[in-house]
Amino acid sequence: MAINQPPCAGPAQDRPSDCSVQPASADPKANPLKTTRRDFLRSGGMLSLSSLMGTAALMTQSDNANAATEWAEHFQKNYRLMTPEEKNEARLRLERRYSDEYGKKVAVDTTDAQPGMLMGYALNIRKCIGCRRCVHACVAENNQSRGKRPGEKIEWIQVLRMERGKFEQEKMNHGYPEGLGIQVGGNAYTPAGQVLEGQYHYNPKAVPEQDATYMPIACMQCEKPPCVKVCPVRTTYREGDGPVVIDYNWCIGCRMCMGACPYWARRINVTTPVLPKEEMNPVTHYLGNRPRMRGVVEKCHWCLQRSRHNRYPACVEVCPVGARKFGNLLDPESEVSKILQRKNVFRLKAELNTFPKFFYFYD
Amino acid sequence: MRKLATVSLILALCGGAYYAVSAAEKTAEPPKEAAAKAPVDCFESRKGASEVTQREIKPGWPNVKCSPTTGAALWYGDPFDGTVPMGKMPQMDIPEGLAVVKPRSEKLALMPICGVSCHNGVGPKFTPPVLPKDKKPAPVPTMAAMVPDLANLQHGRGRIWCMDCHHTTQRNKLVDHWGDPISFDQPQLLCGKCHGDKLRDWRDGIHGKRIGEFVSTGKKRWFTCTECHNPHNVQDGARNRGFVQLQPEPSPQLPRGMANADHEKLHPIPH
Repeated sequence: MAINQPPCAGPAQDRPSDCSVQPASADPKANPLKTTRRDFLRSGGMLSLSSLMGTAALMTQSDNANAATEWAEHFQKNYRLMTPEEKNEARLRLERRYSDEYGKKVAVDTTDAQPGMLMGYALNIRKCIGCRRCVHACVAENNQSRGKRPGEKIEWIQVLRMERGKFEQEKMNHGYPEGLGIQVGGNAYTPAGQVLEGQYHYNPKAVPEQDATYMPIACMQCEKPPCVKVCPVRTTYREGDGPVVIDYNWCIGCRMCMGACPYWARRINVTTPVLPKEEMNPVTHYLGNRPRMRGVVEKCHWCLQRSRHNRYPACVEVCPVGARKFGNLLDPESEVSKILQRKNVFRLKAELNTFPKFFYFYD
Repeated sequence: MRKLATVSLILALCGGAYYAVSAAEKTAEPPKEAAAKAPVDCFESRKGASEVTQREIKPGWPNVKCSPTTGAALWYGDPFDGTVPMGKMPQMDIPEGLAVVKPRSEKLALMPICGVSCHNGVGPKFTPPVLPKDKKPAPVPTMAAMVPDLANLQHGRGRIWCMDCHHTTQRNKLVDHWGDPISFDQPQLLCGKCHGDKLRDWRDGIHGKRIGEFVSTGKKRWFTCTECHNPHNVQDGARNRGFVQLQPEPSPQLPRGMANADHEKLHPIPH
């Protein structure tokens, strides 16, 4: 074994038996499974509980899909560790429960990432007029909670209004900081966007306003996502085609990811989500917009239920000014690749080395 | 003890069965109320130019969802609803059927009459057409009333006039550099005459908007120039961005215990 190699990186047969360090692979399927005490206990527990559950399900004749599903969900694996059969079982279970709950045929998609696809997003910051249509399109598509009481209304996209700066003759002799006289000379500039924590609740009669610029923010689908690093249960991860997703069933609601995200992109369901039956979108993806439960974190996933089937995300489709662009970064003919070739592009908080796949550009 | 357990189990089962029946009754009711509703119109990019009427494509699946606050289209059930093939475009080799547009001509209320009633291109004064040398249109009250934007034509800031874009004898057509007619459904052929940089970006999907399938080989609905821009009034909007101002959608919910969002307007640095 080479000296530089980590102790557990070699093939399974020449690995020392007392090796406890897991190899650093993003794909947990690549790691060989080893029966541990925990696994043993868990399978024992599952056996006894599942027999109980089976009888319970038989006795209630499984009329209440909700109860039966919740039982089964307690014993399902992390989505990344599930076999295709287990995924299918979970899918059928959820479809049955959601169809029962929302009174219509609900499809839960489990389509995997396709090879040769790396999704990317670009937003023309000069075009954005701050109309918030993307915010509400996202809510219509992604089954967010939309109640009236505090904490019951969840929106994934935030539109930040920033004031424009300007240089003024009247301020030529102003010191900076005011009154202290540290700076020699004037400060004729009124800084742009220098407000306490950004303006998200702006509500003028008409947009765009003369003295404002708008900047929509949502999940940047980082290549090195800090939220994934901190998740203690590894329920959030980067999918093969780019988006960072959440297996809602394994989320414990600890909000570590919310603290780690530098883009304020994550939301938690503090209350039981309020989702009226008639407004529920029945086309869902397991890792995407399926209805969430109380106490789990959610965020933008670039409409996985659409983009896995080559459809534009909902926010792209409604932007009235065409500021939002979406495409395959690996395809040189896609609109996002063309933007990266031709336009001036920046990433939000690039200094954090999160390498977002969400680019802001301007003409 | 065991007897008690059995009895309670039976009771619980009965309760469960009753619950299931009552739940089924509850879900059966709502569709009746939803049936009788007035038709909802919503606009796509700009008001008065691209209205869509909401309808159900299949049960519970509308073609478009509209915003109750602003009347804007918020969600597309079918992005290709009501589209026709775009037709051949120069330097765009897209296989037939993969590029579609919504026809503009059916949105233009004056289209059916303008080719026949006033500007039919026949009559002693019109063959050959006599146009004013100073390129200032003679004021026609009927015309000004029908198209109010003409009173202050901002396009080109006074450097261009009607016949630079509209065909001289076929008034229901636009005109290209050779004087040949262009359909109102393909305004990009006209606009690209001057705005070549925008046409190039539009062709590559950078400028403007496309909906449908995002992969470069997928089927897309392309938005044409006049679906977003009013060609007679391109300088509108407080910031001259080419769009008219819109009413924004409602702002996000205030956090628990926050009465208003005035703190957002505070400036930590006095200026």
